[in-house]
Amino acid sequence: MRKLIEFKNIVKSFDGQVVLKGVNLNIMENEFVTLLGPSGCGKTTLLRILGGFLEQDEGTVIFDGQCIDRVPPYKREINTVFQRYALFPHMNVYENIAFGLRIKKLGNDIISQKVNRMLSLVNLEGYGKRNVTQLSGGQQQRVAIARALVNEPSVLLLDEPLGALDLKLRKEMQRELKRIQQEVGITFIFVTHDQEEALTMSDKIVVMNAGEIEQIGTPLEIYNEPANAYVARFIGESNIVDGEMLTGTKVLFDDHEFDCRDYRMRPGEIVDVLIRPEDFTIVKPKDGVLKGEVKSVLFKGVHYEMMVETRTGVSKTVKMHVVTQHDMNNAATGEKISANDFYVDSEDLENKEMTDQDFISIANAQAWDEEYRDISLTHVTHNIENRPGVYSITFGTDKKTEITVKVYVVHPEYVEDARHNIGISALDFFITPDEIRESMAISTDLKTWASAEAWNLQDDSPVSITDVKFDFDPAEITEGSYDITFATRGRVYKVETTARLEAGDRVGLSFGPDDIHIMRKAVQET
Amino acid sequence: MKSFFRMTYPYILWIAVFIVAPMIMILLYALTKDGGNRTLIFRFTFENFTRFFSDPTFMRVLFTSLRIAFLTTVFCILIGYPAALFIANLSERAQTMMVLLLTLPMWINMLLKTYAWRGILMNFDNLESEVKVFIGMVYDFLPYMIIQIHTSIAKMDRELLTAAYDLGANRWKTFLKVTLPLSVPGIISGITLVFLPAVSSFVIPKLLGGGDYVLIGNLIETFFVTTGDWNFGSAISLVMALIIIASMWLTRKIDRNAKED
Repeated sequence: MRKLIEFKNIVKSFDGQVVLKGVNLNIMENEFVTLLGPSGCGKTTLLRILGGFLEQDEGTVIFDGQCIDRVPPYKREINTVFQRYALFPHMNVYENIAFGLRIKKLGNDIISQKVNRMLSLVNLEGYGKRNVTQLSGGQQQRVAIARALVNEPSVLLLDEPLGALDLKLRKEMQRELKRIQQEVGITFIFVTHDQEEALTMSDKIVVMNAGEIEQIGTPLEIYNEPANAYVARFIGESNIVDGEMLTGTKVLFDDHEFDCRDYRMRPGEIVDVLIRPEDFTIVKPKDGVLKGEVKSVLFKGVHYEMMVETRTGVSKTVKMHVVTQHDMNNAATGEKISANDFYVDSEDLENKEMTDQDFISIANAQAWDEEYRDISLTHVTHNIENRPGVYSITFGTDKKTEITVKVYVVHPEYVEDARHNIGISALDFFITPDEIRESMAISTDLKTWASAEAWNLQDDSPVSITDVKFDFDPAEITEGSYDITFATRGRVYKVETTARLEAGDRVGLSFGPDDIHIMRKAVQET
Repeated sequence: MKSFFRMTYPYILWIAVFIVAPMIMILLYALTKDGGNRTLIFRFTFENFTRFFSDPTFMRVLFTSLRIAFLTTVFCILIGYPAALFIANLSERAQTMMVLLLTLPMWINMLLKTYAWRGILMNFDNLESEVKVFIGMVYDFLPYMIIQIHTSIAKMDRELLTAAYDLGANRWKTFLKVTLPLSVPGIISGITLVFLPAVSSFVIPKLLGGGDYVLIGNLIETFFVTTGDWNFGSAISLVMALIIIASMWLTRKIDRNAKED
């Protein structure tokens, strides 16, 4: 194959924002090349530079051996299928397709011959007289392709042309486009953010990210040997975990050593390890190289997609004291008032300025009159000090209806996992059976009542608590003390399987050396 | 549905009293003859029309009116189109600003503007009356044309121009084959907004043309106000109305044919 297009160090920025950071890329003759990346990665900009609609700030574009930087779009042997088709609304299908030929001043008979050939290539025979605004999205798409191809360009640029179509039509057009490309035998440069589209149609995929090329390769290469975690995540579902190379063919991850087939990495190098969800085999726990618990199962049609946790996260167990509240009656006014005892963390007392309102909400203090209308609590008095101990707090209304409850000030107790940099904390709490029965989302409420939180030890960023474990039935709750365990997510693998399993099942995961893909860590930008 | 119709009654009444009734009266006046002393004799006659069409002076006035309105419209397109194109290529903010500036003179009473022109044109004695009237009309009606054309260009999808370049058309060809055809609706409504008031204008010719320059509008005014011959005035109005309707029908037809080709 002959080199047709060469991008040399293309740099482009808009309003000071660099969109292309020196892109180098070769495109061969008769290739179906896909520029793949999320929106804003620069793929459309690169396409527009090739089309001549944008001028690069630096670098050169070589087309067929000649520099085309100064060639205006209408003199380039390149045609484009635009994202929103850009069909001329004042012309019918025939005239839209004939546009380029009329510009070239070809004879009417030749034009008619060529246009009709195009109409049949895109399966729109008999549509010539139709108004383009009356066509469906898929038909407009075909007209746009015919209008570009009729000029017999050496390269056809397609800027996310399938984006506006629905799923079924999209699949159909994918096949159509591939067929048309094979039939006319010219270079197609296709821009998309849809990885499946890229895998289906391309001879070569160029994965782009933030103005740079991450990897160039055939669909198979990109899928099986992604250059880094970014590419792996973009192409297909993946599990990517940190690992360390022990020798050239042994890698350590998830606390186990595994054989792998990679000879590029140095021993001791920290790497990203990729295992595709479909490469796992579900086996009995004792036969698995990794063992875990099924956390969730989603039915996906042909297979089930499940999350398997092989290592639990950080957890903290607290006591929930369920006590019936004793309302205080004020016989003189008919008012009633209630509040719970509560625990408070001495560090919170020190760091957060706890207001009366905060205490009211922690104690769930409330007052109401004979008709059950809420009354506001106007005074709060307490002797709480920032030292562990038992204190008391009194809540009261304007009419001197009062209740006093106990406040337990305790030292904070964290559970820390230094190895994975996660800390978790939660406090014991008092609650009434009514509040538990009335809870709409018990796990979320338990987190709130226990002030449960987890965070990253390095940067203090919050970490979500994914598991709340308890063994009571909220509808049947009685007085007593209960254990509640809060936990963060551990190591979870996404697994695709046809085996029917349920959340909570213990399973073993098995995979071979070929299923482990080792990738170099992406260089972090500073 | 019934209650909806009931809601339209006030409008129907309005149209009947203020539009249909006066039209019928004009038609009635045009087809009858004054009996003298403001009495109306119900004797149908085409005399008013034959008088108008047989008098070379009146025909000359009609011809002059159509000519100056036509010239005004053509000039408004010639000046207005490039201006509209220029504005449409500015940034969104600049466009809003330019449209505002263009409409600014419209806020001032037309009489006032015409008097101002009279003051300016007084210094150019050697100019013919028709040229002065022409200048006044173009000045007055140009913003309507620019705004109409600008609107139709501005709402056009810019990607169409890119597509035309892509398909081998240079800037000039792109303009001819894409921008111009797509702005025809704007030109048509511009023509409507310029030709109509221009052909029936009477303030501008009266103030800028001097006493000797008479257009059809002035003629109608004279017969209604000065001579008091409402019958003949009505007949001229009716002829004018028919000419305008015919010309509008013609432009729309041309527009439609252009689209079908």
